[in-house]
This record gives sequence, structure tokens and C-alpha cells, in this order.
Amino acid sequence: MFLAFHEIRRGPVRFSLLALAIGLLLFLVLFQQAIQNGLITSFVGALRNQSAPVVVFSLDGQRTLQGSTVSDDIDAKVREVEGVDAVARAGQGTFTVTIGGGDATDASILGTDDPGLGRPSELSGGRRAEAEGEAVGSEADFEVGDEVSVVASGDGEAVVLTVVGVARDVQLSVEPTLFTDLATYEASVRAVNPQAPVVPVNGLFVRPADGVDPAELADRINEAAPDADAVTREEAARTAPGVAQIRQSFQIIFALYGMVVPLVTGLFFLIVTLQKARSLTLLRAIGARTGVLATALVTQVLAVTFLGVIVGIGLYRLVTSGGELSSLTVRFDPALAIGWGIGFLVLAVVGSLASLRRVLRIDPMDATTGAGT
Amino acid sequence: MKLALRELRRRPGRFLAATAVLTVLAVLLMFLGGLLDGLLAGATGAYRAQPADAIVYSTNARESLVRSRIEAPIRDAVEGVDGVAEVGGLGSIQLGARPGSDPDARELISTALLGYEMAPRGLPDEPPGEGQVIADTTLKADDIEVGDTLLLGPARTEVEVVGFVEDTNYAGQTALWASLDTWRSVTEANRPDRVFADDAVAALVVRIDGDASSITEAIDEATEGATDTLTLDAAIEALPGVSQQRSTFNQIIGVTTVIALVVVGLFFALITVERTALYGILKAIGGSSRTLFGGVLLQAVLLALIASALATAAAVALASVIPPGTLPFVVTGQRILTSVVLMVVAAMVGCAFSLRRVLRIDPAAAIGTAS
Repeated sequence: MFLAFHEIRRGPVRFSLLALAIGLLLFLVLFQQAIQNGLITSFVGALRNQSAPVVVFSLDGQRTLQGSTVSDDIDAKVREVEGVDAVARAGQGTFTVTIGGGDATDASILGTDDPGLGRPSELSGGRRAEAEGEAVGSEADFEVGDEVSVVASGDGEAVVLTVVGVARDVQLSVEPTLFTDLATYEASVRAVNPQAPVVPVNGLFVRPADGVDPAELADRINEAAPDADAVTREEAARTAPGVAQIRQSFQIIFALYGMVVPLVTGLFFLIVTLQKARSLTLLRAIGARTGVLATALVTQVLAVTFLGVIVGIGLYRLVTSGGELSSLTVRFDPALAIGWGIGFLVLAVVGSLASLRRVLRIDPMDATTGAGT
Repeated sequence: MKLALRELRRRPGRFLAATAVLTVLAVLLMFLGGLLDGLLAGATGAYRAQPADAIVYSTNARESLVRSRIEAPIRDAVEGVDGVAEVGGLGSIQLGARPGSDPDARELISTALLGYEMAPRGLPDEPPGEGQVIADTTLKADDIEVGDTLLLGPARTEVEVVGFVEDTNYAGQTALWASLDTWRSVTEANRPDRVFADDAVAALVVRIDGDASSITEAIDEATEGATDTLTLDAAIEALPGVSQQRSTFNQIIGVTTVIALVVVGLFFALITVERTALYGILKAIGGSSRTLFGGVLLQAVLLALIASALATAAAVALASVIPPGTLPFVVTGQRILTSVVLMVVAAMVGCAFSLRRVLRIDPAAAIGTAS
């Protein structure tokens, strides 16, 4: 122990550099994890944080509201399923809008005919939408009082939505999102395409009766309506197109970082061990036990990595303190930080096994011959 | 140099670990690059096949083919612009498809039905007849052959596959090429909220005689801002997910290259430490630092090249065993060359970290150590 810390004190620059490298790696992992979580929330937050425990798509929709069209037949069959308490019809689409007369931007509008279903569970400001044309908006994009105009095409009549409330983490497809009534949504569709003979229902939001498990109800709905694709709110968010790809891409990045840590620490400590091979041989020759030298090595690895972990978590805390990055929500997650911190410590020790083997193989006799250097 | 090569020949074992790690990293580089190329090919094929220089969207669509709609008067205005040689309508709708033989299938094929006027590469000038489509070859992976029928969308609109065409997929979905009339009727049956009038299309593909950028501006002026005209390259880049996929994968490829650089750097730093005494002796008998570092550099480059060769073989083998239409993995000569260059550059930069150590070796001190 004494040897380990004494050496670190004597050569602070080289150990600090390693700690800094590890800290930066951990920061990159935590930061990218925060971006991944923010991105997934932006993709499916509207589904995950809405009030209906069961979401029904048409099978053809392939788990996207915009691609799904729920026929009257499916609607009727769902309402007849035992265990259904309430059903809301929903329409969702992406529109070109202006906020307060500003530049045109994309926005997703999700309308339901039941204010208690398919709308954000909790508001972070303002009140719930009550009248036609009122909306609750995603907090990152809207403020209470915003007037949002859907840009009309050809002979279409412009639609204006008034934001009366805002909610956190309720974006859909990484777009500013507005929750409103079904009639306002339908008017928005007709503003863009006045020729549309009908505006189809894109999905159903279902509340199970008391005591009915949402997953079980989803199974019952799928059985009763073969063209329906009913899933729980959580599964709808987890299996939405794009989410799996985001997770996969980031997992590859994380795996790569996971490979770098043992490689960097391993090779660093191997070099350090080789450089001081003579001293270690001498120490062995004057009676130092192998265990003492091995403990010193592992202590150094843990101490330097721990310092790196502190640096990494500190940087992560600093960057996420704003809570937002390019309209993406990034939050400090203590469990994530601790989990990755422990992971880095383990990986660093694994990486130093080659150095440990080298230390354990030191022959004190080499001190008399000059070998081992 | 000879010494470096001889060491590689005589003691290959000492370089085995680094070569193995570099090979894994090179495989990873090529796999990621191939995956990116495959994803981009699947997302952009329909546009790359267009015999056009520009795509015209309606301004409100914000460069989205799904939301764009061009009415007849706008088309007339575009056709009247000087330098516009030819104009064709384009329409698209993304629908799940079931094989005609299995109308109740729950596993759907993701398709994009595209209506055309100006024939994209590989398609006949005259679009297929009403209710007929020419499919991208990736549909063969779903056991669909010429003469089979598909049921599109919730309305299960029947279309017959009358041929196949290569590399024309759109947004990662299997392209089905049809006439504009077929596209309009399928859209009306399945997405009545997106119905198009008989003379309306989603976008226009335009062939230009002259300077593309100035004529695209002239088109938007002629339509009084009702259109947003992009050159074909810009339209491809603006397709959903293309730039995001490119930047994400390039980031991963960049990190992998840095890892390779770090591995080479640390490995050769380690080897240099081990050889300090040997280098001291070589310097004492007249070997220059340049010669010694040249040897290290040569070894690093050779290791990177061996790793790249093994990785190339692995990538080609992987591409040959992946069934078409499953994993979007494509091996191209350009991608392999880029990956090899990245590996070699990473190896050269990585081993450059040992340069300082080689330069600092004092022959006298090193000989003392050796003794």
C-alpha cells in the first residue's frame, strides 16, 4: 500500500494522465448513454408518458401511429372485449407549423376524443386542454400561451392551436409534439389535404377495467380483432421502429469503449511494470513478498481508475446540469454513473492481469545476474 | 529495416496479440462501414436510380416526400422554366404487404409503393399496367416471384409482381414500382387522408440542361415559393435518417480508429521499452535513430496491413453468407480501401508515440543497463 501511493506521489504526472484518460472515457460513455436515453425519450416519450395503459395499432401500422389505420370494424371489436373500461380514438400526423408567426417547423399533432386517454399523464405547467383548439405541448418546444398555426395547402383552411399546458418527455419521433382533441387533429389533416374524403383513426387508447392486467387485455384484444395489434404502453414504447436501432448503435459504441478501458490500463501498467522491473526484482531479493508487490499493483490500478471515475462522473454531472442539449433532454442518472464506475474499476483490474502475471513471475535470483530488466 | 522484418519473421509470437486485436478492430471497421453502406443503399436506392438532376417538393412538405403534394398548375410552372429539359411525377406510399397466398399473415413485408413517369434506372420507360408492380430484388428474400401477387395495406389492395429491379429501395423498405394511376388508387384505398387528385403528384423529378443550382433556384422563383427544389444529391442527403445514420456510424468508426491508434501506440511503446538496451547497443555501433524508428514504423504498418488483409477476407466471407434482404451489409472496394487506410494511418500515428523514446535512448546508459 505504502509503495503504491508513494510511487503515485513521486510520479503524479503519468498517473494523472492515465486517470484523466479513464475519466474522459467514462465521461464519453455516460454522456452518450444520456444522449441515447434522451433520443429514445424523444422518439417514444409521447407513448411512454401518456395516460392509457393499452395502445391498439392496426397490424399494418407496424407499431407506428402515423402508419396505422384503425377501421370501424376493429374499433367495434375492441370495445366489445371483456375488461375494456374506456376507449379513445386517436389520430396522429406530422405537420408543418409556425409558432407565434415564426419560421416553419415540423410538429407532431396527436388528437384523441377522450381527454383522459392518450394525453400526458402529468403536466409540468399550465392546465389540461379542455376546449377544441387547445393543446398540451412538449415542454422542450412550447410555452403556455403559444399560438401554433398548421400551415395549410391549396384551398385548405389554416388551423390554430393554443398551448394551454406543457409536459416533460412527451415528444414523438423527435419532433415538437402537441396533444389535442380529435376534431382539431382532423381539421389539421384537412388543412393540409382538403381533398381527403375521410380522416382515418390511427390508433386506439384503451383503459382496462379495474383489476384487469393491461398485458392480458392486449392479448384478449389481439384475439378478438385479428387485424389489430394491441400492446401495453411500455411495449409500444420499447418496440417502436427506430428504438431498437438506436439501442443497437449505441451498444456497439459502449462495447468499443468497454474494450478500450482494459487495453489502455493494461498496456499502461505493463509498461510501468517493465520500467521498474529492476527495482521490483531488487525488492524481491531483499525479502519483499510477491503478495505485497501484487497488492501494490492492484492498489495503484484501483486508485488511478477511481480517480478517473470521479473525474468522469464530475464532467457528466457538469454537462447534464443544464438538463437539455440541442432540444434533447439529458439528465444526470446516479445509478448509471455508479454502475459504469464499478464497471470501469472491474475492467481496469482485468486489464492489469498481464502486469500482475509479470510481477508474480519475478525471480529474486535475477537481481544477482542483472536479468529481468 | 532488415532487422525489423527479420524480427517479425523470427519472433511472430510477440506480435500475435497486437495483430489479433488489430484484426478484430479492422473487422469491426469494415463491418460498421459495410453496415452503413447497406443501410444507406436501402434508404436511398429509389433516388439514386432517378434519371434526374433535381427533385421538386412542395414548400410545406419541408423536403419530405410523404408530405409533399404538387398540383397541376405548379407542375406547369416548373415545366415552363428555361433549362428544365424533362419533368416526371413521383408518388410514394409506405404500406405493409402480405403475400397473395396468405391474406391473414401477421408478419408483414415493409414496402414502399412508388409511382413514376420518368423511368428510373433498370425500369421500363412505360410503367407497368394498372395493378402491376416491378419489385426490388430484395423482395425475393420473402419468396416472392414474378407472377405472384401482394396484398397491400389494410385494404389488402392486390398488385401483381411482373418483374424485378436492382438497388432501388426507399427508406429501408422494399420498393414496388408502379404507374402513377396504380399509386393513386392504392393510396385512396389505404390512406384516404392522403388521397391525390388525378393530376397531382407527391413530387417532381426534373432533368436539367445547364447549371443545376441556378435552375433549381429559377424553379422555386417560377412557382413563387410554392416549391422547394433540391439537387438530387441534396435530396438524397435530406432523406429521413440518412444524415443521422451517416453521422452515428462515422462516429463509431472514428472511435474504432482511435482505439486502433491507442492499441498500436501502447503496444509499440511497450516493445520499445523492452528493446531499450538493444537499441542502445545498435546506436553505439552506428545505428541512427531514424533507422531504428523506421523499423518500428515498418513493423506497425505491416501489422496493420496483415490485420486488414485478414479482416477483408472475413468481411467478404461474411457478405457471401448473409442471405439477401436480411442484414443490410454491403462490401465495396472503396469501403475496404478506406478501412485499410484508416488502419495504416492509425498504426503510423500510434507508433509515432514511441519516436520520442527512441530518440532519447543514450547508447552509453543503455549498454550499462544491458550489462
